[in-house]
Amino acid sequence: MMAMTSRFAAAWVPLVLAMMPLGSGVVLGQGDNGLTAVDVKSTKPAPRTADGHPDLSGYWKGTTDTKPGGNIGKDLPGFKLPLTPAGEAALQHNLTATIDPESLCIIGGIPRHNASGLPFEVLQGAKKVAFLYWYSYFRLVPIDPKRTHSDDPDPSFFGEEISHWEGDTLVIDSIGFKDEKVWIDENANPHSDALHVVERWTRPDADHIHVETLIEDPKFYTKPITYSRTWVAGKADEELQEYSCSENNVDKDHLGFGPGPIRPDGTRGYLDPAPLPPPLPRPAK
Amino acid sequence: MKFRIAIFAATVGLTAAWPLLAHHSFAAEFDGSKAMRLTGALSKIEWTNPHTYFYLDVNDASGNIVKWTCEAGSPGALSRRGFKKSDLKLGETLVVDGYLAKDGSHLIDARRVTLPDGRILSGASAGDGGPGQ
Repeated sequence: MMAMTSRFAAAWVPLVLAMMPLGSGVVLGQGDNGLTAVDVKSTKPAPRTADGHPDLSGYWKGTTDTKPGGNIGKDLPGFKLPLTPAGEAALQHNLTATIDPESLCIIGGIPRHNASGLPFEVLQGAKKVAFLYWYSYFRLVPIDPKRTHSDDPDPSFFGEEISHWEGDTLVIDSIGFKDEKVWIDENANPHSDALHVVERWTRPDADHIHVETLIEDPKFYTKPITYSRTWVAGKADEELQEYSCSENNVDKDHLGFGPGPIRPDGTRGYLDPAPLPPPLPRPAK
Repeated sequence: MKFRIAIFAATVGLTAAWPLLAHHSFAAEFDGSKAMRLTGALSKIEWTNPHTYFYLDVNDASGNIVKWTCEAGSPGALSRRGFKKSDLKLGETLVVDGYLAKDGSHLIDARRVTLPDGRILSGASAGDGGPGQ
């Protein structure tokens, strides 16, 4: 009987959910969060700006097959980062003595924002490109092949960023990062002030934006890390909205250290949480 | 009833592959082993970022009123799934199923909210890695 119920649910529930009007009295789930999207095939070429470069501008959403989300080791075997002893100590410190900086409304920075599940928006000009993020944060990157890094940049969460075009690829080179109150991803992995990030952004077609990231941090990692990802274009009427992270951050006083357990699949959460009490029956009309 | 449970389970199951979106990890704040149900009168609503909060007056076993804080997703996350501020009315009795804060305070993750008319809404923070995600 149970097997029949399961087969019935598996066959019909997706259809029922798709047909379900909001507010109809049935359970509204978390699946249709509107923030991520199923990947699509595109036949349209990437738009180009007046000066001939691909236009990266758009509202970009992560795809549902980006796994594990929020893990900078996504592309590594076993999601295993090549930590140095100092890096391992920094990770343990983050796990046992720090609250997720992003949950305290501190800027996530780069490369963390590239591993986030939240959409972002790009506005590209001839001399600058702006990346606008969900928590009303932004980074403004100059596009200038003649610009070089400062000798001693002030530490920042996004780092000192310079960029130039290599063919159809926008290359962003960043140094000068903070080494306190930073996690490199949602799993509390660390980075030091020696972090150097090179992002290679492309728009392979009208519906996708892609990044190839090289992450170097010889203090905390024995070798460079690579992280690549593709996002899909949002709908025409989708755009970032106001999100005031510190408006009412009640939970900052209740959060524990670290992200909690890391599952074998590289995501965060309990493997076997207790079930909620069963839903109440709907009152008879 | 069985069908509604099946819908809830399948809905939760469909979310399992979604990447993390939330302001913080569920497990950083809530205890996955302490599922609980609160029934109480709605005394206050905060439709704010980074989380929506609503507050219940709950009678404990001794008959005393205990104030509980229920943490839900951001207003945007709730609105996208059809959970509107107007669904909550001060003074009404809500049933909230969720998980107790790890620090033991009177704070729960409002994973499932049952309104007086029987509608059941998901209050979970989208993609926080909590049960079902």
